[in-house]
Amino acid sequence: MAVTHDVTPDNPPRLEELVPTAHRIREAIESVIEGKSEAVRITVTVLLAEGHLLIEDVPGVGKTMLAKALARSIDCPVRRVQFTPDLLPSDITGVSAYNQQTREFEFKPGPVFANIVVGDEINRASPKTQSALLECMEERQVTVDGVTYELEAPFMVIATQNPIEMEGTYPLPEAQRDRFTARIAMGYPEPTAELEMLDVHGSTSPLDKLQPVATADEVRALIRAVRGVYVSQAVKKYAIDLVVATRHSPDLRLGASPRSTLQLIRSARAHAALSGRDYVIPDDLQDLAVPVLAHRLLPSVEAHGQRRLPEQVIAELVRRVPVPETRSR
Amino acid sequence: MRLSLASAVATFCVALVLYPLLNGGGWFWGSLGAVLVVLGAGALSGRLALPAWAATLVSLVATLLYLTAVFTGTKAWALVVPTKESVLALGKLLATGWADIQRFAAPVPANAGVSLLTTAGVALIAITVDLLAARLRRTAVAGLPLLALIAVPATILPDPMSWPAFILAALGFVALLIADGRERISRWGRAVLVRRTRNATGGPRETTDTRGLRLSGKRIGFAAIALAILVPALLPSMEPVSWFTFGVGGSGKGGKGNSISIPDPVVALKGQLTLPEKRTVLTYANNDNQPRYLKIYSLNLFNGDRFELEPPRGAPENRVENGPLPRAPGLGESIPVTAVTTRIRISEEVERLAFLPLPYPPSVVRAEGDWRADVESLMVFSTREDASGMEYEVVSTEPAPKPEQLDASPPVQRTEANERLLRLPEDLPEEIRELADKITAKAETPYQKAVRIQEHFRDSRNGYTYSLQTQGQSADALLDFLIYSKTGYCEQYAAAMAVLARAAGIPARVAIGYTGGTKVDDGFAVATSDMHAWPELYFEGIGWLAFEPTPTANAPLGQGTARVPPYSLPQVQDSGDESAGTATGTPGSGEVPTGGTSRSRNIRELEEDRLAGLGGVPVEESVSPVLGIGIGVLVLLLLLLVPAGVRLVTRSRRVRSLGWKVSGPQDDVTARAARVSVPVAAAWAELDDVLDDYGMARQPSETPRALARRLTEQQEFDAGTAAAISALSQAVERVLFARDPGEVGPLGKELKLVRRALARTVSRRTRLRAALLPPSTMRRLRRLGEGLLDGFDRLETIRLRRSTRTQAPSGSEGTRKELVSK
Repeated sequence: MAVTHDVTPDNPPRLEELVPTAHRIREAIESVIEGKSEAVRITVTVLLAEGHLLIEDVPGVGKTMLAKALARSIDCPVRRVQFTPDLLPSDITGVSAYNQQTREFEFKPGPVFANIVVGDEINRASPKTQSALLECMEERQVTVDGVTYELEAPFMVIATQNPIEMEGTYPLPEAQRDRFTARIAMGYPEPTAELEMLDVHGSTSPLDKLQPVATADEVRALIRAVRGVYVSQAVKKYAIDLVVATRHSPDLRLGASPRSTLQLIRSARAHAALSGRDYVIPDDLQDLAVPVLAHRLLPSVEAHGQRRLPEQVIAELVRRVPVPETRSR
Repeated sequence: MRLSLASAVATFCVALVLYPLLNGGGWFWGSLGAVLVVLGAGALSGRLALPAWAATLVSLVATLLYLTAVFTGTKAWALVVPTKESVLALGKLLATGWADIQRFAAPVPANAGVSLLTTAGVALIAITVDLLAARLRRTAVAGLPLLALIAVPATILPDPMSWPAFILAALGFVALLIADGRERISRWGRAVLVRRTRNATGGPRETTDTRGLRLSGKRIGFAAIALAILVPALLPSMEPVSWFTFGVGGSGKGGKGNSISIPDPVVALKGQLTLPEKRTVLTYANNDNQPRYLKIYSLNLFNGDRFELEPPRGAPENRVENGPLPRAPGLGESIPVTAVTTRIRISEEVERLAFLPLPYPPSVVRAEGDWRADVESLMVFSTREDASGMEYEVVSTEPAPKPEQLDASPPVQRTEANERLLRLPEDLPEEIRELADKITAKAETPYQKAVRIQEHFRDSRNGYTYSLQTQGQSADALLDFLIYSKTGYCEQYAAAMAVLARAAGIPARVAIGYTGGTKVDDGFAVATSDMHAWPELYFEGIGWLAFEPTPTANAPLGQGTARVPPYSLPQVQDSGDESAGTATGTPGSGEVPTGGTSRSRNIRELEEDRLAGLGGVPVEESVSPVLGIGIGVLVLLLLLLVPAGVRLVTRSRRVRSLGWKVSGPQDDVTARAARVSVPVAAAWAELDDVLDDYGMARQPSETPRALARRLTEQQEFDAGTAAAISALSQAVERVLFARDPGEVGPLGKELKLVRRALARTVSRRTRLRAALLPPSTMRRLRRLGEGLLDGFDRLETIRLRRSTRTQAPSGSEGTRKELVSK
């Protein structure tokens, strides 16, 4: 049992004080979305991991509701973009408009200039518009007419999309799906949750009652704290093992990218912090492997023919790849 | 070509087992040459693509040329081409070899004839194996001729085949099988794997399959050989327990050997004397109704430790049916003899007796079958027949020398002929020679010396005691018997007297056979307990005379039916009452000697009497078969307990390390982590093994936390146990993955709690298995074995590359095998 402990020099903010904030956000969202604690947990994880979230499911299961609830529960600028086929890139990033009074071009920031951007039905926009958003996501900056505008942290895009089989959609290419840290599916609610939803939501929208439970500053502090969560060499190696396994799996045509390793570790840190731990354990990676890796992979022709989804392949790999060796030989 | 090569190597490996059968190395090189010639012929026919029958013909012709060149080259044309003379010479040589093999016991001297025979046999086997394996592609069947070859020493020699020879032979055959398998697979071509993923550059799954396929054959072969060696070695001997086997190789009916192996008469003697039950060996009747010793073996050779049988020589013209046997050696014309006709019937229960029990000296033996006499010792034996159940008649000419004739016998001159009958080892302890000198100091003639030596043993003042508890057979044991313990049975007495006699210059040997037995209605019955050893001393002009140093029945203890020959008693009774008693108790010349039942009691009864009298002095004879099996079973059980023992040791080691106190926090995180990790690792490894033992092993992908969750749910742990296992898993987690493991208390209690809880959930059988054959330990042992095999595999791959260039087989066995497995 070789244990290596490297001590990071900078002293991150005290995790213990910040974790309650994260839990408040979770609880706030869960008060709106009944019975989807796993989805909510991953949403918060992605927020703390400085990532972007892709919510994919059939219409009407609460994708937008989740995104909005997250946005509402944090006291920060939130913008929402409804993607349509005729949406232009400048509708996302903003435009330079000529100001007749000042006689100058003036930059009108688009909806991307916010802390949380909800992109609804992103797959209905044209590829050109999609890529404009995705560029912002990756670089956290906007360049319009040669001027670069930094986006303020935290910056999180929550995109929803309908499954690609639906009509009138432009499915995201693999390269762009890779930019999302995680993808979750909402799934239909449990019957009991659905019943409760009818009782509660019947009269008023719970979103209206939702008050912000955290400030942007608090979220920024949380993100800094998460960065300081310790990842041992063994766990890093385990993450690499998992990712490499996707590259060698005969069921997959395209394995996971090195970027996905990075994002896996990042989100594992957030996941650990949400559990009140200041170190990552293999369980964090196992819990996150499907949401973080599955949407980046392409099944092989055979696996596709057998209707084996990448999610299933990943779950199987997780069951097969040995965890960091704990046996004494 | 590869198969031909493999066949040649296999044949040669197997031919090596002939080694103990033959003396000298001529046959070895001859056989090697024959194998090479067959190999070359096979290669030639392979190159010319001849059909199988033609290839065999070519090999046969090549063998003939080879044999001609090697054995009768001078008579052949240009050394190799057979001429009429050379073929005739070859045939003659073959006949000589055949006769030699008939005549000699193994090991046979490897003269030209025997070498020719061996070489031709090996060549024939090589041709057959080559035909079956390389031409007809019936490799498994090629094992049969090899088996036939290996069966030759196995059936002829009484000793089990030595295991290195067996391993070599088995490896040869395995190499042949491997070569065949490779040949077959290479015809298919390489297995083609469809690669499905772009970036899968040899994923682990694709490669292991073919590797495993290739290796598994080899592994199975090695494992089978190892098992074949080890299992018989560990098991108690499974030989059929026959009541009195003589261990004599005569081969019995249907045996193929014409040689006879040297039995160990001494072992047979001891075995029969210690039989738990007395059995009748033979019955006999004679015309003067006197009991007589029946001799089976004469042990001429003294090797320093014990007397041994010389291989008997029996030429066909010495068959007993061809007329009277030669006159007994040394028996002078003037010595009066008593001719006695004895009719002997051997019990059906006797097994493997290739020598006839006869009164000495036999002159006419009327027996059915191929019985031959050894001219010198007058032993009658057969290489084909078995005396079991036989009935035969013998006329013996017993010398009855007059006292003055005995005294007149001059000291024997040491000549080349009798040298081995007088030979004593150089390092014979000096005490023995001194003792011989002391005993025979006052005696003048060889005969008087002999009488005094016998008296030395029979005189009760000298304190010799009869007991079947042996001292072993060595010079030390002899010294021990003569000087110190003075305890032994007939074998020690006989050997000791023979050695003393030789030291005094009298040629002496040890005879083994039966005493006269017990009187029954119309003759005498001889039982297993009557088996006996006695010394025979040679006197010039008289020949061999039997002496009897062993105490007879009238002594406090002794061989029940032994009797002292009248001529061997001192003629002047000057040694007091005891010897007088002995003399009177000894049957005289004509009376019924051992008719009284009290006299002829079994030695074991006497032993029991003595035991009763002395209050239980243990007289242990030898390990009985039941005890042997018991010991074997015990050893097996102990071996079976080894895994359990290993498991216990591992556990206690870990528990000890658990107990290490973990002191308070220190600043240095790494130091603390290192300290904490030892007990935690021990606890975790122990938990892992416990799970393994109970058949709920942790999956490799199962994290500590997941394991705790699974166990708690599956086994329905109570709160305490659940807390314990979660404490364990969290401690492991912290030690492994956290920056600072923090404080970890001793985990022994938690571990015990979990183990008990787990034990409660499994069946009793599982618990028993966990205690006796813990799977965790078995897994380690298996891994050890696999590591070993992997090591072998690696070793092989290293050699392979080097040997690709050296195609020609060299003499050394090691390189030859590499070539095959290439």
